[in-house]
Amino acid sequence: MSARKIMLLGEIGVGKSSIVRRLVFDRFDGVYSPTIGVDVYTYELENPGAGRPQRLIVWDTDGNFGDAIFQHVYMRQASAALIISDLSRPPTLDTLHRLADTMLDQLPGRYCGLVLNKTDLLPAGTPPPVPDWARERHLPVVATSAATGDNVRQAFLDAAEAMARRGQ
Amino acid sequence: MGSDMRERRSVEPAPNVVGAAGKMLAERGIFGMAWLDRNLVVRTSYGRLIAFVAIGLPVTDTLPPLIGLEDDLRDLRDHPGRVVELPSVAIVSAERTTPRINITVLWFDQADRYLLVVSRAVSRSDLEAQLSAQMRARLMAEAQVMATSKELARANAELSRANRDLEDFASIIAHDLAGPMRAMRYLADDLAAALATQAPDADRTAPTRTPTDVVARLRDQTARLSSMLRGLYEYSSIGRKQYALELVDTRQLVDAVVNGTHRPAGFEITVAGAWPAFTTLAAPLDLVLRNLIENAVNHHDRADGRITVAAEDAGSHLAITVADDGPGIDERSQDAVFMPFRTLDRPGAGTGMGLAFVQRTIDSVGGSLSLVSAPSLARGCEFRILWPKTMSC
Repeated sequence: MSARKIMLLGEIGVGKSSIVRRLVFDRFDGVYSPTIGVDVYTYELENPGAGRPQRLIVWDTDGNFGDAIFQHVYMRQASAALIISDLSRPPTLDTLHRLADTMLDQLPGRYCGLVLNKTDLLPAGTPPPVPDWARERHLPVVATSAATGDNVRQAFLDAAEAMARRGQ
Repeated sequence: MGSDMRERRSVEPAPNVVGAAGKMLAERGIFGMAWLDRNLVVRTSYGRLIAFVAIGLPVTDTLPPLIGLEDDLRDLRDHPGRVVELPSVAIVSAERTTPRINITVLWFDQADRYLLVVSRAVSRSDLEAQLSAQMRARLMAEAQVMATSKELARANAELSRANRDLEDFASIIAHDLAGPMRAMRYLADDLAAALATQAPDADRTAPTRTPTDVVARLRDQTARLSSMLRGLYEYSSIGRKQYALELVDTRQLVDAVVNGTHRPAGFEITVAGAWPAFTTLAAPLDLVLRNLIENAVNHHDRADGRITVAAEDAGSHLAITVADDGPGIDERSQDAVFMPFRTLDRPGAGTGMGLAFVQRTIDSVGGSLSLVSAPSLARGCEFRILWPKTMSC
């Protein structure tokens, strides 16, 4: 089974750990505990679309890194990144934008998926606001809720399928 | 990723060392160690690392944080002394989780093998404490920057205000001093005319003042000019005078001011509220109260006026009000009354410096002054002062 390294990036408190824990343990801890350093999760996707099984090595990073993460040894050989923002905190969309641009610049050709997390906090019936700059860059966007589990697995499946297609 | 590593799995595995060695490592804060051959295959593992690596398999296939780092690890062989370090990592899976660890890999040229050392990172609580300390330091630095910025903004605003005041002041002084100067010039003409009438061939039927009358008027104007210049000097020296902080019984101070204020027999001045004793600048406070009270008396339109001087605690300040039941101050004039030489009464009734002194004095001690008066609604006006309870000099 091939292993692929996926980075979770985004500002502090956007729900990076909650998303990966929802994927790996299928649970949500309501108590916020900041990640210090990095937590490396392993998760096996038995059937990622039409592709072969994959082992995902998901690096849940400390939101304090900011743009500096791209110079850190943690980023070595990463095949993809999911950059996460918090829909209930609009300023995190600015960080999402900045990190995505830096990712495209520093690691061109790698899968860069945007995750708009905490859809459960949006008023009922409100569609998640997809930034114009994301459309212009043709970046994949998934709206998730780690609290309810909505679309969390889909975000990783999209990344796994894209990595398989690209042979990364 | 790692496919070339799998081809080298045929090497024979070495035994895992646990027990006493593992205990010894644990006592030294070592989570585990492993020897890797040139192909990064795990040969020997010590301590708890055995749960995360497999003897005979490349470490870059099995230890998740090292997956994908083959090139970086191989590069160590060409760079003696260099290490690959992954600090503060926790390995999490559905089956098991490590504590927070530091992963270090180095190349031993003499032994022709790699050493993998996994040590315990400082505890999460220690890290959080460090983080908190860093956050506190950062917040304090940010607060300092914000305070400095605010102070700078305040100083800039003060400078702008001072510049505006200076311009206003220069304009007012030029205008107001021109009044008595012009009067003196006319009086000089009058004096010349009056003296001319004393000449033997003068036309004595022309109406004119006597020289004595003109000289008396000239004297009045020079006295007025002197008074204005004296007032200006005093006004400009407010804030530059050095006063000593002293314990002041404000009740005694206000009583002394009230008792020393000349007023008509039926005029009543009441001191109310709580007047504490605290360390402050006595002379400026005396100046403020004296001018406000005298102002209220002098500009009252009745002989049976009422003035109330009250104080109450307002936290960091003493809130003082001087309220009268006089004619009040029209809203359009409420800014002007604090300018030098501005008086709402007939010209010559006063120097018009009283409220300017008050405003400048209160500014100089860091207090504030406001005026409430709406003559169209009711009689009277009220000056509200916030006098700081603590100040340095």
